[in-house]
Amino acid sequence: MSAWVEYVKMAIQNILANKGRSLLTMLGIIIGIASVIAIMSIGEGVKNQMNSEVDDMGGMGQIYVYCSVEAQQEEQWITKADFEAIRELDLVEGIQINDSWTGETVTGKGDFNLNVVGDTQDVQAMSKLLMKYGSFFTEADVAEGRNVCILSDADAKRLFGTDDVVGMSLDLTCYGITKSFQILGVTTQKENGTFVSYTYEGMPVELTVPYTSMTDFVGDYDTYYNLWVHGKKGVDSKLVADEVIHLLDNRHQSAGEDYYQIQSFQDELKTLNDMLSIVTTFISFVAGISLLVGGIGVMNIMLVSVTERTREIGIRKSLGAKTSSIMLQFLAESAILTGLGGIMGILLGVFGAFGLCNLISSSGMNVAPGIRVDTVLLATAFSCAVGVFFGLYPARKAAKLSPIDALRRN
Amino acid sequence: MEPLIKVMDMCKIYNPGENEVRALDHINLEIFQGEFVAIIGQSGSGKSTFMNMLGCLDVPTSGKYFLNGTDVSTMEDNELSAIRNKEIGFIFQGFNLIANLTAVENVELPLIYRGVDRKTRHKLAVESLEMVGLGKRMGHKPNEMSGGQQQRVAIARAIAAKPPVILADEPTGNLDSASSREILAILKRMHREGRTVILITHDDGIARQARRVVRVMDGKIESDDLNSHFEQGQEEEA
Repeated sequence: MSAWVEYVKMAIQNILANKGRSLLTMLGIIIGIASVIAIMSIGEGVKNQMNSEVDDMGGMGQIYVYCSVEAQQEEQWITKADFEAIRELDLVEGIQINDSWTGETVTGKGDFNLNVVGDTQDVQAMSKLLMKYGSFFTEADVAEGRNVCILSDADAKRLFGTDDVVGMSLDLTCYGITKSFQILGVTTQKENGTFVSYTYEGMPVELTVPYTSMTDFVGDYDTYYNLWVHGKKGVDSKLVADEVIHLLDNRHQSAGEDYYQIQSFQDELKTLNDMLSIVTTFISFVAGISLLVGGIGVMNIMLVSVTERTREIGIRKSLGAKTSSIMLQFLAESAILTGLGGIMGILLGVFGAFGLCNLISSSGMNVAPGIRVDTVLLATAFSCAVGVFFGLYPARKAAKLSPIDALRRN
Repeated sequence: MEPLIKVMDMCKIYNPGENEVRALDHINLEIFQGEFVAIIGQSGSGKSTFMNMLGCLDVPTSGKYFLNGTDVSTMEDNELSAIRNKEIGFIFQGFNLIANLTAVENVELPLIYRGVDRKTRHKLAVESLEMVGLGKRMGHKPNEMSGGQQQRVAIARAIAAKPPVILADEPTGNLDSASSREILAILKRMHREGRTVILITHDDGIARQARRVVRVMDGKIESDDLNSHFEQGQEEEA
């Protein structure tokens, strides 16, 4: 056991005796490990951010219900009465309709294209909207189809130059009809929002209105293609989906026809996450190749070192070093080199991940690196494995030298 | 009394076949505990090969070699390493110190391979260095010392593990005459203290310092005489 300590000591002595060369040898490993760690951490960070944002939007428990092609052919659209019935279900917290139309408005600031979204009062809770001023429209507003609207603070500024606009009205023109809508509330973006809710210059201004108020423009419209259902907290979205489908099938007498289809956001997110993982893994794999190249670099230097130190090996053998002693000494040397390189790589990778995330964040998206202990441990273990693996050949070469040949060579 | 070294009918043949070279040709030799033997021969005489055999650095093609009662002529590499470590202290012409180790670390090497613990090792190494008069140079690296001092470190290394045989291969070959005298004086002292010293050289003048002179030529022992000039006390002047 104590012999081990001696070989490690010898290895360290040698590494320290050639500091510059040791550092250069480690460089490949350092870069390899650093890039793997940085890429994995940034990928993880992006994933975390995406998940948390989708979660903020109420995404996780949400299911998307839509009409199949058959239902459309049979004109079995979802109706307002269906909406109300679904809202009444035990497992359902609320629904979102997202019935989108285009319109225009003219304000003191100019002409604007509008994206008018007809929806229910549940939207605020479901999308976790933060109100900056005023309040969201209510059940009564929806029931009576009142001409009220909600908009974001950014859009309010674009329209009016200020976001304190509660109580003001705007003229909404849609299909040639103009109606005055009263502004009930102004929402604001949660900080750290990026992927989903991002306002560009030139994007249409978005107004959220009670979906019932759209009849003013488009007549007594009662054919809806889709809706989003938000299940009660803690309820498996599968159960909610079953209940909703059952209800729709009952109301349309379409049991077994597969008229109404379900997509759960959870599944979607999983697909997205899986895709991101694949991309991250792939890039890490490419970075891993640099680790391999780094390992070959270590092997090269160790081979050079064996050749240079042939005489030393001969001396050691003549003094009684066994094949295994020489082998362990050289193996320890390459393992320490790569292990040390691994540690430096981890530090560099972590710093790099933070640096790159800062860079990304400064361009508007907010990503914090997700450094995982298992990634770090894996990288360390891998770099040590690389050291041992690539150290094996030079070490064997050194250990197999015959002492006379080794002593004779200069 | 059993001889410490007993070589029986030893042959070493390189390139067996048509162009074979008989470096050692049926050599028989016995060396007893406490002897001071010089093995002398011109280059190509086979004395280096013989020294490799005696030092357990190589194994003979045929014949037997008993070292301290053990037949080492058929041993494998690792066994030979252990035997070298235990039985033989080497002193080489080129000193063969490890450049990035200090004097005391160099002397500790054979003890490390023997598995001696750190404290004992250090103590033994310091004692050996003091014995060769280098008590004040223990922290120096080889390139900070003269040739004579380096060879003294090598001697300290050879005796540190207290092996029964000290095998010196042209120990003065790279040294000036003053240093050579010093080194030979130390070897004689080792002998006087009871160690078995085998000195390999091509130089008659050096060989004459030993008690017994074995002359090797063409892979055979040409003569094996006791040295009439040898006097126990003569090295004291050095």
